Amino acid sequence: MEFFFQNLINALQWGSFYALIALGYSMVYGVLMLFNFAHGDIFMVGAYIGFGVASALVGFSAMGALALPNWLILALTIIVSMFLTSFVGMIVERVGYRPLRNAPRASAAITGLMIGIILETGNLALLGARRVSFPSLIKSTTYDLGGVFVTNKKIMIVIVSLALMYALHRFVRKTKWGMAMRAMAFDFVVVPLMGVPINNVARMTFALGSALAAVAGIFFGVAYPVLDPYMGVLFGWKAFVAAILGGRGSILGACLAGFLLGFIEIFVPMIFPSTLRDLIAYSIILLILTFRPHGFFGEPYSARLRL
Amino acid sequence: MKATSENSPKSNRSRARAFREYFSGVPLLGWLAGGLVAVLLERFLGTPLAHLLGLPKVPVLFGCVIILKKPLLIPGTVIYLLLVYVLPVGIVARLCGSVINRLVSWLFNLSPTFSVIVHLCLLYGLLSIWSGISAYRLLTLKLTLIAVIVTLSLNIINGYMGEFSCSHPGFMALGAYSASVVTLLLFVDDRVFGAALLPEALGPFMFPVALIGGGIVAAVGAIAIAIPSFRTRGDYLAIISLAFMFIVKSMIENLEIVGGPRGLSSQPNYVNLPTLFLWTVAAVWIINNFVRSVLGKALNAVRDDEMAADAMTVNTRRTKFVAFLFGAFWAGVAGGLLAHVLRYVNPGTFGIQKLAEVLAMVYFGGLNSVYGSIVGAVGYSLLSEALRPLELFKWIIIPLLLILVMIFRPTGLIAFKEFNVMNLIRPKGKPIREESTSKGGVLIRS
Amino acid sequence: MKKSLVLIVSCLIIGVLLLPFGCGEKVKPIKIGINAPMTGDIPKVGEGTKFAAQMWLEDIQASGGLEVGGKKYPVELVIEDNESKAESAVKANTKLITEDEVLAIVGPQSSKQAVPAGGVANNYQTPMISPWSTNPNTTKDRPYVFRGCFLDPFQGPVLANFIKEEFGYSKAAVLYDVASDYPKGLAEFFKQAWENLYGPGSVVAFESFTTKDADFSSQLTKINRSGAEVLFTPQYYNEVALIVQQAHELGWNKPIVGSDSWGSAETVKLCGKDCYGLFFSTHYAAAGATGATKAFIDRYNKKHGYIPDDVAALTWDSLRIVQEAIQSSGQLTGNVAKDRQSVRNALARIKEFDGITGKMTFTEEGDPIKCAVIVRISDKGEFEFYKSVCP
Repeated sequence: MEFFFQNLINALQWGSFYALIALGYSMVYGVLMLFNFAHGDIFMVGAYIGFGVASALVGFSAMGALALPNWLILALTIIVSMFLTSFVGMIVERVGYRPLRNAPRASAAITGLMIGIILETGNLALLGARRVSFPSLIKSTTYDLGGVFVTNKKIMIVIVSLALMYALHRFVRKTKWGMAMRAMAFDFVVVPLMGVPINNVARMTFALGSALAAVAGIFFGVAYPVLDPYMGVLFGWKAFVAAILGGRGSILGACLAGFLLGFIEIFVPMIFPSTLRDLIAYSIILLILTFRPHGFFGEPYSARLRL
Repeated sequence: MKATSENSPKSNRSRARAFREYFSGVPLLGWLAGGLVAVLLERFLGTPLAHLLGLPKVPVLFGCVIILKKPLLIPGTVIYLLLVYVLPVGIVARLCGSVINRLVSWLFNLSPTFSVIVHLCLLYGLLSIWSGISAYRLLTLKLTLIAVIVTLSLNIINGYMGEFSCSHPGFMALGAYSASVVTLLLFVDDRVFGAALLPEALGPFMFPVALIGGGIVAAVGAIAIAIPSFRTRGDYLAIISLAFMFIVKSMIENLEIVGGPRGLSSQPNYVNLPTLFLWTVAAVWIINNFVRSVLGKALNAVRDDEMAADAMTVNTRRTKFVAFLFGAFWAGVAGGLLAHVLRYVNPGTFGIQKLAEVLAMVYFGGLNSVYGSIVGAVGYSLLSEALRPLELFKWIIIPLLLILVMIFRPTGLIAFKEFNVMNLIRPKGKPIREESTSKGGVLIRS
Repeated sequence: MKKSLVLIVSCLIIGVLLLPFGCGEKVKPIKIGINAPMTGDIPKVGEGTKFAAQMWLEDIQASGGLEVGGKKYPVELVIEDNESKAESAVKANTKLITEDEVLAIVGPQSSKQAVPAGGVANNYQTPMISPWSTNPNTTKDRPYVFRGCFLDPFQGPVLANFIKEEFGYSKAAVLYDVASDYPKGLAEFFKQAWENLYGPGSVVAFESFTTKDADFSSQLTKINRSGAEVLFTPQYYNEVALIVQQAHELGWNKPIVGSDSWGSAETVKLCGKDCYGLFFSTHYAAAGATGATKAFIDRYNKKHGYIPDDVAALTWDSLRIVQEAIQSSGQLTGNVAKDRQSVRNALARIKEFDGITGKMTFTEEGDPIKCAVIVRISDKGEFEFYKSVCP
């Protein structure tokens, strides 16, 4: 039994990364109907920005300029990196997506892919091939709850991620901007005619998604403190699966699908031989889609799509 | 095309047009003949000329590598290119234009099929002489031809069908492994499968069967995607196919019998240039016929408006199904060819990296166009080979270039253009685009 | 405008024509090809290769060239990026051999590229030495292909025996990357060796993950539950850091043992205190190194700011082996095909080579026989020599 709970906790942490990243995909997909393949690399950029900010802050407090406790450094890092990364997201939108708003959707997907490659290579060119180690801001403490080992990091990551997801949900449901985003997801053609500023909404969507990716990046650095320029690639593609699986424009769906993906990836090696993990995990996804072809919360849409 | 680039720095628009008109009477055969003269020239005079110009060797890939690596040699390289390629092609094409034109119209009236064969023979001669100069050229050419097949097969799905499929590396892996297993099992004494079951001499003749077998395996794999994903319209194909790619990779990694992550090596060396050339021509011909057939038109109708197509008695599901399997088949064939060119396969080759590359080639060249796919595959392959000396910055320049192409030509360089063979081989007429297989590297500039 | 163009072109032609005469008769340089993954999955490996190769070149240039048969030849390195892709490695090798006409090739590093690239080198009869590839297929039946590292079938039993002697445990767990050639091979050889010692079933957990994974909690939980007494993980340094930390977070407090892929300065940098006190087998121990090894490490560290990992050290050794082969081949004729043949023969003749990663000799297959070193990560985070195991 404790074996099960141990894996459950592991899966919650792993799933929250997928969920946070999938949200960014899902929002862009919902609002603009585009695949933002650069998102995985924005996650990487967020992690590196977080690394830079955290190292700078740790350096400052070590010099005695301003003595900050570690939790405050982490909080500051998260806020500053969210802010900076959302700019990266907005730049990506401006450069790669806005010129292509009326182009076939797949073309925008390709620009996203290419921006991703530029981000990876740019990082490689700037920082070299060295992997960096994220400063350990939280001293890891392990609690033994009757055979289930839980660390304070895990608890923090899961709770903060869930809180952010809830905040996003409130934002989308309760604010004017959120309403605009939902309206765009509802109808891409008519809503802009009603006076919704499409460019601002698009920018906002990218900024929000990137900020969440930055949080995911920093938490990733906290939990798995090894960063490399290509860390976002596979992660991004998997989160993409989760985002589409959740259903178009559904925040709840993307979260659930992200956690589901995390659970599958953790629980499959628990039950089956771990060499078969990918094989079985993605077969399960295939099966789910066979029976639920519109994802969890997606609606079958027959309206004419662009390309 | 090539000749225009020589003139472009000083030319304004009207002069360029005049220039183009100057060459407008030259049929495709004329360009091919010019190319043939150029490569023959390089073959016999290339080395002494290169030495005379102070170049260490005959410039490979039109001198790009030299230009990027040793700026001092740029003038020599440019002069070499002028003397060996641009001038002979231009002169031959222009001077013999009228003669060849007459020849072409005679050929055309005699039998278009025969004319096509003559063109292909000339093209093959050109390619084989060009690649005969160094093994590096030959390898680049082989991989480029394979890229053409892959790109065409993906264009069926992503271009003509208008879906977004991510499973091509998976299909290629299936084809590569199936074909390799057949040839290794039957014709080669190797470590994995033991002694050859059939006499080795039979190998080259049975090789097409192995390739087709690989294609069929890929197509069977495609059924696993097609059944769940064509129940509904939308983007689910994207993730189903992505999941499929992960599944195939993981499956092969777990199959110890085919070497697991270590891969399979020592495939027989069956894929020489003539074989590959024939396969590529066959792929272009069959795929071109497919997309121009009733089924292909139905496919376009499904892409543009599925409901309307349905109302017009198009069986949408069957159409999509067939097209998807067809695309997968050719990806499998290309995979089999790739395995026998590299003479090694491992599952790691067919991952996300490959996917990005294949997608880039399709969208770079142009959707819904056989021309576009050829241009995209040739252009991308040659470009990534030519920029190799830039190391890291190559992967900044190529994506930037692609982004620019996407912004200014969102559907790709040459999209929605029919590949009409009759038009190509017809005498004279309007300015004719030369067959891009021969000099795609230049075409991108146009 | 036309006139000026004509003038420029004619000037260029004249200049270019004069170029070869101006420089006079030059000795044809010796070209060595480097085929390394500068971009792609493992850029770090490419960087180490490049830095080591450049240091080697500096040495040669400082001494005025490579002396062969009483004549000094300048040396050129041609570095090609293989993007960590098999077909790109094949292309790079073909280019190096046929276009750049290199005398010998060092690289590619990982087996994924070294196996197909080795085929090319062998076909064109060009000596190639892969510093890092452990796949037996790389050199098998290829007289022109050599390697600079020991093979998995040797390292697996070394580690199994070491654990038996050191700890006396009888139940082991293995965690490895199923999609990567090297860890998988080593994991299997270790399992085999361990079961030879303790009988079948003594490897109580044989768990895997896939390249680029970052979360191993599921596998580690399973290992925790299996009752294993020691964990063996033949992973690369970035994964080592994650595995060790996560294992500790999940309550694992028994020893973890690694292989030569741990032998990078980054291991300790990324892993921190979690890795202190752990053992692994490797080619050389950085801390407490002496002689040439120490000189190499210090120089590299001074130049690039970190302690070289095993790729750099093995590349250095491979280049030195190539150098020795060239020098002992007698003389260079200038005919590349002939010279390659004589360098290959000289390579195969090398009996005892004293490299910074240990003494080695080559077998018939072109594989080296060399000693392995067991290293302990000290409480200061340095790699301490613990013992040496020779075949």
